[in-house]
Order: sequence, then C-alpha cells, then structure tokens
Amino acid sequence: MTTTAPDVEPNPLREGLEQERVPDASCLVIFGASGDLTQRKLIPGLYSLAHDGLLPAGQTIVGFSRSDYTDDEFRKLMREACDKHARTRPVDDAIWENFAKGLFYVRGNFDEHQAYVELKKRLGEFDKTRGTGGRRIYYLAVPPDYFPLICELLGKEQMVNDPEKDGPYTRAIIEKPFGHDLESARELNRVAVSTFRERQLFRIDHYLGKETVQNLLVLRFANGIFEPFWNRQYIDHVQLTVAESIGVEKRGAYFESAGITRDIIQNHMLQLVSLVAMEPPVAFEADAVRDEKVKVLRALREFPKGKEAELAVRGQYTDGSVLGEEAIAYRREENVDPKSNVETFAAMKVFIDNWRWADVPFYLRAGKRLPKRVTDISIHFRPAPYPLFNKMSNVKMQSNILSIRIQPDEGISLKFDSKIPGPTVRTAPVTMEFRYATSFGAEPPEAYERLLLETMLGDSTLFARRDEVETAWDWLDPLLVAWAKDARGPELYPAGNWGPPSADALIERDGRSWRRP
Amino acid sequence: MIDLSKEVRVDVGAIEKSLAALWREESLHPEHAVTRAALWNVVAHTCSAERHKFASETLSAASSSVPQRTIVVRATPGGEPELSSWISANCHVSGEKQVCSEEINIVASGSQVDRLPPLVDALLIPDMPVAMWWVGDLPNENERYVEQLLDPADRMIVDSVFFDRAADLDLVRRVGERTTTAPGDLNWIRFEDWRMAAASVFDPPDMRSRLGDIRRVRIAAVTESGFFGEWIEAVYFASWLSVQLGLHVEEDGSVGEDIAFELQRRSGGIAGSIAGVEITFADGATATISRDAERGVLTTTVNGIVTMPDAITRTFGKRPQDLIIRLLGQPDADRLLPKVLPVAIRMAKRVA
Repeated sequence: MTTTAPDVEPNPLREGLEQERVPDASCLVIFGASGDLTQRKLIPGLYSLAHDGLLPAGQTIVGFSRSDYTDDEFRKLMREACDKHARTRPVDDAIWENFAKGLFYVRGNFDEHQAYVELKKRLGEFDKTRGTGGRRIYYLAVPPDYFPLICELLGKEQMVNDPEKDGPYTRAIIEKPFGHDLESARELNRVAVSTFRERQLFRIDHYLGKETVQNLLVLRFANGIFEPFWNRQYIDHVQLTVAESIGVEKRGAYFESAGITRDIIQNHMLQLVSLVAMEPPVAFEADAVRDEKVKVLRALREFPKGKEAELAVRGQYTDGSVLGEEAIAYRREENVDPKSNVETFAAMKVFIDNWRWADVPFYLRAGKRLPKRVTDISIHFRPAPYPLFNKMSNVKMQSNILSIRIQPDEGISLKFDSKIPGPTVRTAPVTMEFRYATSFGAEPPEAYERLLLETMLGDSTLFARRDEVETAWDWLDPLLVAWAKDARGPELYPAGNWGPPSADALIERDGRSWRRP
Repeated sequence: MIDLSKEVRVDVGAIEKSLAALWREESLHPEHAVTRAALWNVVAHTCSAERHKFASETLSAASSSVPQRTIVVRATPGGEPELSSWISANCHVSGEKQVCSEEINIVASGSQVDRLPPLVDALLIPDMPVAMWWVGDLPNENERYVEQLLDPADRMIVDSVFFDRAADLDLVRRVGERTTTAPGDLNWIRFEDWRMAAASVFDPPDMRSRLGDIRRVRIAAVTESGFFGEWIEAVYFASWLSVQLGLHVEEDGSVGEDIAFELQRRSGGIAGSIAGVEITFADGATATISRDAERGVLTTTVNGIVTMPDAITRTFGKRPQDLIIRLLGQPDADRLLPKVLPVAIRMAKRVA
C-alpha cells in the first residue's frame, strides 16, 4: 500500500527495518475518551502499537470528554483498560511508562466553545514540547448526533488544515453508524465535508482491519490458481454468515434504532461481499481498491417492490439457550421495547448484476443469539458435470467448497472428494486446511491497531469512502422501508438456533442449504 | 497417544518411511487432535555434539512460531566412518490442537560426511523454502562442500559473531552474489534495535535534513578478547550507515567524504554487541544512542538537550531462537544485507 501525501522525504535509515513505515508524530485527539470504545479498543490498541515499536517518538494522545479527570487520573484509567484489554499483555511497565508520557486529557463538553480553545492551546504546546508539528488526527468516538457540533467548532477554531494548502495534515476518523438510512448518511457526509475534505476522512469499519479480511484480497489476487475459477462459470453460489452468540447486552437502546441489518449487513457484510466480488484493482492503493468495491455495490440487484419477502427474511430471538446458558428473549432485554419489532436476524438472497456474477446467488445471514460466534464466507463451486463414481450409491455429488473463516480460528479450507482406501472406488469428502494460528504462530494484531496506524500513515485503503456508504444505503433503504411498513414484524426464533424457519426456506427452495460454519 | 517428542532411532534409508509410520500411528488416536505443520525446511549444519544439541534445542523452540521440518546434521570429517539418524517431533498446543513439526537428526563422520548433501536434499519437503543454518564458523577450506549443501537452499543463515576473519564475510557475500541462495546473518538481525534507534533519531521531519550534516560516527563495541567476530556488529553498523547515506567506502575501509567513522573497543557487557553510538553533526551538535542498563532498552539523546527515551521502548528478544524466528518470519530475503556486505568486508579491514 502506498502512503498518500507524505509530508517529507522518507527516512532512508528505515529501509529494510521491520517497520519501514513509521508515521510522523501527531496529536491524536479522542472525542468521547471516557467511553467504552476508548477503553476497550483505542487506548489498548495504541499501547500495543507502542509495544510493537510502531508508534513514533513524541506521538501524543489527548482524551477529550465531559468527565472530570486530570492527566494522571486519565493515565491511571487507561492503564487499567490496557491491563484488561490490550493484545500484548501483561502490560510492560517500561513501555507503559513511555507511552503514558504521551497521554493527556482535556475536559470539556462537545458543545462548549471554550473547551476547544483550551484544547487548541494544549495541542499547540505539544507541538513545541513533543514535536507533533501541527499534525492532527481527530477520532470522533461519539454518537453521530455530535458530529455536526464537533465539526463546526473544530472549523470555527481553525483547528482543521486544508490539505490543498501547504502545512501539516489534519485527519478525522469517524465511527459507524454512518447514518440510519440514505438520507441521514448523505446529511452526515454533507456535514463532514463542510469541515474536512473527503481525503481527510477515515470512516472506520473495523472488519476491514481484520487480517483475514485483508487476506481475501491476497487469496484472490496473489494466487494464480483461484482467479480463473472466480466467476459464474465455476461458482454455483456464495454464502456469508456473520453469527454472534451474544445478545444485545447493554446496547439495547442503540439496537432498537438499528437492528441487525443496519448494524451488520449495511456495513460489515456488504464490505465482505464487495471484497469477494470485486474485479482486480489496477493497484493496491486506496482509490483503486475502493473504485472496484463501489462498482460491486452499484451492481447489487434491487429488491423487487412488494416481493421483498421472497428474497429477504427477518427474525427476532425469543427465550432459549446458547452454549448451554439460558438466554432471554430480545423483548426482555434491557432498554428494549417489550413489543419491539426490531430484527435481530436477517437473511437474504442477493444478486450482483454484472458480467462476472450474473445469476450467482449470494446468500447472506447475520444474527444475534445464534449457536456460536462465527464469521465465514464459503464459495460453493459447481459439481462435476457427470457422476463417474458412486454410480450405484445414492450419494449426491458434492460441491467443492472454499471456506474462508474470518473469525474465530481464522483460516481457509478447501473441501474436495477423495477415494476411500479399499478395493472398490468409493469417494468421501475431505478438507485441506490452512489455519493462521498453526502456520504463523503469532497472534494477529487487533483490527483497530491496524486502522489507527493506517490513519497515522495517511493510507485510506482500509476505510469506507463516501460513495461506498451511500451506495450501500441506496440499495438497502427500500428493504428497510418495506419492513417498516409490514405489520407482521420479524419471525421469532429461539435463542441458540440458526434463525427462523423461513431462513432455511429461503435457500432450500433453490435446492441448496446453509453450510454449517 | 504416542509420545511424539521421543527420539526414535531409524535407519538412514528409511527416514521418510519412519516419519510416515509415526503420523499414521498417531492418527489412530483421533481423540488427540494433532496437526502437522511446516512453512520451512530448516537444515542446521553443526560439527560437534555440543552445537548439535544447541541447534536442536534452538530450532525446537523456534518451531512453535515458525513450523518447519527441522533437519539437524552433525558432520565430523575426521572420525571413524559413521552414518546414523533419529527422528522426533516438536509439538506445542495451539487452541485445542497440538501442532507438531518434524525433526530429523543425522550424524555423519569420516568418509560418510560426503553422503550428507544428497541425503539432506532427499529429505526436504517439496515446494517449501529451504533455510540452511551454518552453526559456527564457515569452513572456508572446503567451499565445495558448503556449496553442495547450499545448492537447494533459498536462505543461508550464519552467525558472524563466530567468524574469525573477513574471508568468512566474503564467502557469505559470494554465495549471495553467485547463487540463488540469499544470505542471512543472525548478527545482522541481532543489532536491528540499534538500526531502529538510529533511524528514529531522523524520523522527525526537521531531523531528516541533518542526515547530510553528519561528520563523525563513533561506534563502541564490546570486545573482550579482540576476536574478529566481536567487532562485526559495529562494522555492520558503520557499513549500513555508509550505504544508506550513499557514501563511498575505499578498499582500505576509509570513507572518502567528510565523515569519519571511528570504531572503539569497550569492555564490560555482552561480547560482540554495540555499547554505544555517537553521531556528531557539522555544527558540533551530537546525537547519541545508548542502552539504559536498568530497563534494558535503547535510548536516544539529540543535541544533548532533548532526551527521547521513548524513541525505542522495545528490546528485541536476542536468544538464538528469537533471531531465527525473526529471520524466517520475513518471507522475502533481506535486500539490505547484500548491499552492506561488500562495504562491511572493506571496513572489517580496520579491525582484522
């Protein structure tokens, strides 16, 4: 990947070192620093980057939120967060000591003008004392309602440098949800680009930071063996499953306004679909990759008006048990309407109307309180054209399946038939497996680590672009509108099952079945 | 379940067959899931029982991070003719599975040593890269034997701390230049943290332009006995900096430009390691790199005023297995070492 817009010439002494790309020190300001995301992912992720020697000297992290902390109190809180959540545990005292020297805190309300004045003043001090050179990254770990306010005040205080002019960079990281529907997504983007230019915006979809998701591109485009078969001539259908065994936990209020379709399918799953289906990009560079991804999204076939149920089903979990533990119904969860019609499961049959994928169904399903946590993509190849073996038996000819496990137990497996040893020719399916943990031993970095580093380096390949987000909403909006109007609501399924019966019917009426991931 | 780590004596001609039998026997116990894994063929060449044990233990430890078929060879040309072998497996638990890598040990002495190259070749897993680790000093006097063993190798691994003369470095250079085997040196990997520290001094954009202002580089090396290999880290550092700064180094090791490289002897510390670096700029300002003994990390100081202890906070593991893991963890051959070696050979003349 290339770094866009480098400030100065690369350091020649970095050549050949493990980290050839070390970003220049900057001030990373986290809006919403007392929140869960900061403590579970951001600070532990940054600490792990420091542990791996990937942060530059002088990197400065400034927490900004309403809670009243001193710098030292904030450091103490973040140390506890790292002790609990950092990938590289136990926390190394010497490394922490250095890392903590770059941790600061500014108290303020997001709408408090004076707080931004104070923030600007402190950032200016860090430029002098820590060599951050005016470089700024604003991480908006806040609900979208605050975006307009923060953008406006950052602009008003002249805390955003225009990349068209000379000077240090300013970048902004935005967390999902990127809107609630097409209209709100457009509004959010309009607000964001009123302060920042598109190339300053880094929309995080943490799935793109996962090693296995990135490996999808490597699998497809670094190996000559797969691409010739990666089309409608050889592929019968594709299945994608994003299953969670947990319920909504403390996110009941958010989930009531989102549902699984907005929470998972609109972003994570469509990102996976576009990576599986995209054409080879001309280069492994941000816009080249994203251009190809957005073409896939544009080619998604619209849901036929009035017949949405033929292609998409929704469900909601009721009382049941998951992994041996009792699980309560969604409607009995905290901050959930007891009569809620919000879907906790969705399955759909999707077509990509282009030359490569015409009439190849992509079956997607995502849900909460399913039997286990797993994210899996399986490519089902067409069976051999003629049953040369097993003629006398009733064994149905099997498809070859290339399965890409995104999480957990990340890896790739290929299923094919083999002869059972013995005097007669009988076949049985076997699998050839590659597992990250087995082959590479090392624990892959957390998705947030990778994405934070890419932002510091100015590489937006692994981030969603405005047109990707809006095209995804454009395709999904009609289905969500139709569901909202449909008084029947979601079909119920007991927690611990793979969704409602109609999810099975969706695929079985095509003579296929869901693969057990 | 059979004990895979147990050494099983096998006939040299039946090593593969015995390994297959070992796995077949293991597969009869499906309740104990064992996965066999290999990303590399790693051949360690040793010449004494002590080094054989060292290589076996090192590669066994490394195999949990870099699964490999390990072949440890002990060759003693002077002894009675002998050729014997044994097999075992190096296993570790990954998740719910036990992941195992195979280890083959071969001892050859006397005239049987000549049989080693074709035997090793036959035992390599096809389509997997081959690394040949030469444990100890290089046998310059028997270059043909070295070449034969290196023939199938993609990577040659040496540890130049054991080298007793500049000719050893030259042999490594020749292998890199004349064959498809890429050289790798554990000593080069060992001081990577010093290169990182030096690079970090010039990471801030305002320091980048000062690379052209360097006038003197003083490198202190811990050399207890004055043995040649103990100087090589320091020689490598000076050579690397010269190459990256685009300086011309004369045949006698002197640098033609306005930069002086000084290699100093220091006692106390780990023999063969760099003890400190001082870089002096045209205006007299200095940048130093030293090791914080208490915390074991490298620190950099620029201009004597601004201390940047956070420039390098990590200490790389420096046990042999850590170095092997890092070297084999890089799928591509080191592209910098071949550029540095010719310069290092010239600079080594200053200490030889």
